[in-house]
Amino acid sequence: MNRLTVFGIFIVGFFIIIAIFAPMIAPYNPGQMDIENILTAPSGSHIFGTDSLGRDLFSRMVYGARISLMVGFIAVGIAALIGIALGAIAGYYGKWVDAIIMRFIDIMLCFPTFFLILAVIALLEPSIINIMVIIGATSWMGIARLMRAEILSLKERDFIYAERAIGANDLRIITRHLIPNAMAPVLVSITLGIAGAILVESSLSFLGIGVQPPTPSWGNILSEGKAVMGAGWWMMLFPGLAIFITVLGYNLLGEGIREKLLR
Amino acid sequence: MKKITDNIPAAFKKAAFLFIILFLLGNAPDYGDTIVIGSIGEPRTLVPILASDSSSGAICGLIFNGLVKYDKDLNLTGDLARNWEVSQDGFEITFYLKKGIKWHDGAPFTSKDVEFTYKSLIDPNVKTPYSGDFQMVKNLEIIDDYTLKVYYKEPFSPGIASWGMNIMPAHLLEKADLNTAKFARNPIGTGPYKFKLWKTGERLELVSNHDYFEGRPYIDRYVYRIIPDTATLFLELRAQAVDYTSLTPIQFRRQTETEFFKRNFQRFNFPSFGYTYMGYNLNDPKFKDARVRRAINYAVNKEEIIKGVLLGLGRISTGPFIPESWAYNKDVKPMEYNPEKARELLKEAGWIDLDGDGILEKDGMKFSFTVITNQGNDERRMALEIIQRRLKEVGIEIKIKIIEWSAFVSEFINKKRFEAVLLGWGLSLDPDMYDIWHSSKTREGEFNFAGYSNEEVDRLLLEGRRTFNQDERKKIYHRIHEILYEDQPYLFLFVPDALPIINSRFKGIEVAPGGIGHNFIKWFVPRSEQRYTR
Repeated sequence: MNRLTVFGIFIVGFFIIIAIFAPMIAPYNPGQMDIENILTAPSGSHIFGTDSLGRDLFSRMVYGARISLMVGFIAVGIAALIGIALGAIAGYYGKWVDAIIMRFIDIMLCFPTFFLILAVIALLEPSIINIMVIIGATSWMGIARLMRAEILSLKERDFIYAERAIGANDLRIITRHLIPNAMAPVLVSITLGIAGAILVESSLSFLGIGVQPPTPSWGNILSEGKAVMGAGWWMMLFPGLAIFITVLGYNLLGEGIREKLLR
Repeated sequence: MKKITDNIPAAFKKAAFLFIILFLLGNAPDYGDTIVIGSIGEPRTLVPILASDSSSGAICGLIFNGLVKYDKDLNLTGDLARNWEVSQDGFEITFYLKKGIKWHDGAPFTSKDVEFTYKSLIDPNVKTPYSGDFQMVKNLEIIDDYTLKVYYKEPFSPGIASWGMNIMPAHLLEKADLNTAKFARNPIGTGPYKFKLWKTGERLELVSNHDYFEGRPYIDRYVYRIIPDTATLFLELRAQAVDYTSLTPIQFRRQTETEFFKRNFQRFNFPSFGYTYMGYNLNDPKFKDARVRRAINYAVNKEEIIKGVLLGLGRISTGPFIPESWAYNKDVKPMEYNPEKARELLKEAGWIDLDGDGILEKDGMKFSFTVITNQGNDERRMALEIIQRRLKEVGIEIKIKIIEWSAFVSEFINKKRFEAVLLGWGLSLDPDMYDIWHSSKTREGEFNFAGYSNEEVDRLLLEGRRTFNQDERKKIYHRIHEILYEDQPYLFLFVPDALPIINSRFKGIEVAPGGIGHNFIKWFVPRSEQRYTR
């Protein structure tokens, strides 16, 4: 394994551990306000400083990691489910089924995803669940295409003919033989997708239509930070760095998997 | 000793010299230069009777005039009107207009323009939010070009002030559909500034009206830049690309106390004409009981919000008037922060935590509700987060939902799709609040969206409109204030300070009860400091 991949695994693991053990790591309750200590600079008692309501920024960042990672995993999980299912069906059945699904994918790809998400959130209401579902429902197309391409070549292989010969039905062939064998490139896409989903969540929260207060997420901390840019540099620096490093971590990991599996 | 006496004449000469310079400067302000205003909002329309947002209002106020206006001490004085008379019984007002006033296109201003504006205001096809006051008018009669009489259906004390409405030119608009008129982006008025251009999303430009009837404004050009983000706006201010804007409390307290800002800018703070509140949907069963609303008032620490969110730059509000107004009842004391009392009241009203999850229940319903507010207002979001924490301590759970402004108004407020809402009212100076509190004003798009209904208040509101004597009106509005604070249809929170900041090259700015805008046409920049010379 190359060193960058190890570094990626380290970063991803680090943030996952932080997210899981958030209550133990955070020195303060992330919602605890202290009106006497608004926007204090990083110091011994608040290592990342405090925000505009006097809450400990480090604790909020730690809990924010939960939101960011949860959105990343669940949104991509939804995308993977849709993408794998549709891709497999299209690739396996071919003909008009394939044509319909692929045209549908083309249509979905025509939309500028971010604006689609903005429009949908304006209609529904912003909440963590809606955001995860919307991100998932608008980012499965790449996975579906990869899946279909893999299956197109796999289904002509001998072991599939053998399986058919002994009477396996379509469902069994797809789920037991085709999908597991086609997962390698999809896995790379999923890993990179997590990074993308974290960025989209941060962007939405930054615009104020993502995760709603008082729940901390890196994006909405960053957004609050922008309003007080000149009075509290720490409010933008730390969440910005956290997003940057996490996304870097997933990208390195994705590249690593690609090299390993597709060589 | 000798030295000192020797020095006296020299010092005296110097002082006299300085005095002469100051005298000259003070006496003869220079014309010229440009003022660049930075604003978060963009005007929606420049048809004054359709303008309901503050940006449109600011621009219309420079292009147009009303018949009357408030002077710096908040007394009504003539603007386009030279004088007016109210008949003994209060049924008639006679306005005498100033002569020789011209529209920006050169046409004379006459009473026909007033009549036209009035007819537009009561035209049901014109989508104006200001028709209410003018529906009280029975008839408007033109006596001659410069005299007109307004007959009211009944005595209507806010009537005179309502004629502060900007007057529009009849000769340009008579045949136009006001809702769609091109005039909205190319207005002609009588005011101190003439419209020049409007680049959507970027800027508006006005130039001074040399023939203005109160004298030519000293500042030649007025540029209104639209910068929809407070942080960017602040950077532009620091780069001195913006001369005049409003600060947020954090900017006021933490970012403008530097030498640089003290040298280059002048800051002001004075109470704004408005208050921020949390309004309930009174048709919601949770909020029907006044004890519950009073409990919420006890449970929320207003001092803490003012300190935490406004950094002390504001005051507690106990009612629907600004504390400076004569209508404000100073005997209504804010209920103290007292979570114990809140719990008691909630218990009395039947809200008890039965399942021990920390949230109260009644009839199987949890005391949990969503408060909505508009996007882009950090102070409101922060205030809600503080309220959320305090209410949780007495067993009430609130969720916060932040919604983009136009959807917020059209989908949620107007259709009453909310449980509670955090908002602010900007106030006019007349205390008549019929539109907000009268039980008849609850249809879609009307202002009593809380659904408040109280017979005594209804009666008093009507009485307040029919009474001209200020002392009697005072009694009426003081009583309304008392009832509203007792009833708590809103959780009255605070009156924030206005925090304008202006580049220090502008002189002649005067702080008065009416704010700083009242003498805008007298603001000037000494020749040597002028920045924009063409």
